Amino acid sequence: MNHYELVVIIHPDLDDEAIGQALDRITTWITDGGGSIDKTNKWGKRHMAYQIQKQNEGIYYLLDVSISPTLIAELERNLTILEPVMRHMIVAK
Amino acid sequence: MAEERTRSTSSGSSASRPRRQFKTRYVRKPRFCQFCSDKTLEIDYKNTAVLRKLTTEEGKIRPRRQTGTCAKHQRAVAREIKRARHIALLPFTGGTWEEKIR
Repeated sequence: MNHYELVVIIHPDLDDEAIGQALDRITTWITDGGGSIDKTNKWGKRHMAYQIQKQNEGIYYLLDVSISPTLIAELERNLTILEPVMRHMIVAK
Repeated sequence: MAEERTRSTSSGSSASRPRRQFKTRYVRKPRFCQFCSDKTLEIDYKNTAVLRKLTTEEGKIRPRRQTGTCAKHQRAVAREIKRARHIALLPFTGGTWEEKIR
């Protein structure tokens, strides 16, 4: 079990419910593989340095995650498919 | 010492003029790596206030000779700036979009 930081940028036009659903899906992907989310840090809506998907703003979430390194590739693939997530980044701590 | 030389030549003849202009273009290199002298200063992609100072106006990573960062910390700085760019905390080129609109 290794520690990672996961940053996700969610589409700014979504309501709280849709954001919650997206985060729930991410949580289930992590917990199903025996991992856990240690801390959820909401940065909120903020201006991005450049446009992503023609949006000037994004909703930032920083998740402290403990997960087995073998599952990172799968999580990465799942995140690219998940539509509300405009951009993500996984960094080893 | 270099300062002394320019002063003495400038007061002497007009031939020293171009050389003096060339000298003033240089940004003086800080003598110490700021990350070595201040251990609490964290190099992190989330810490954009620090990283912004280490990039030029066009968004390029500033070289070691300008910032005085040591080789070890410069590698860390480059890595974290690239991470910050990926999640749109720092621009790849130019300023932020807000500045472009103005």
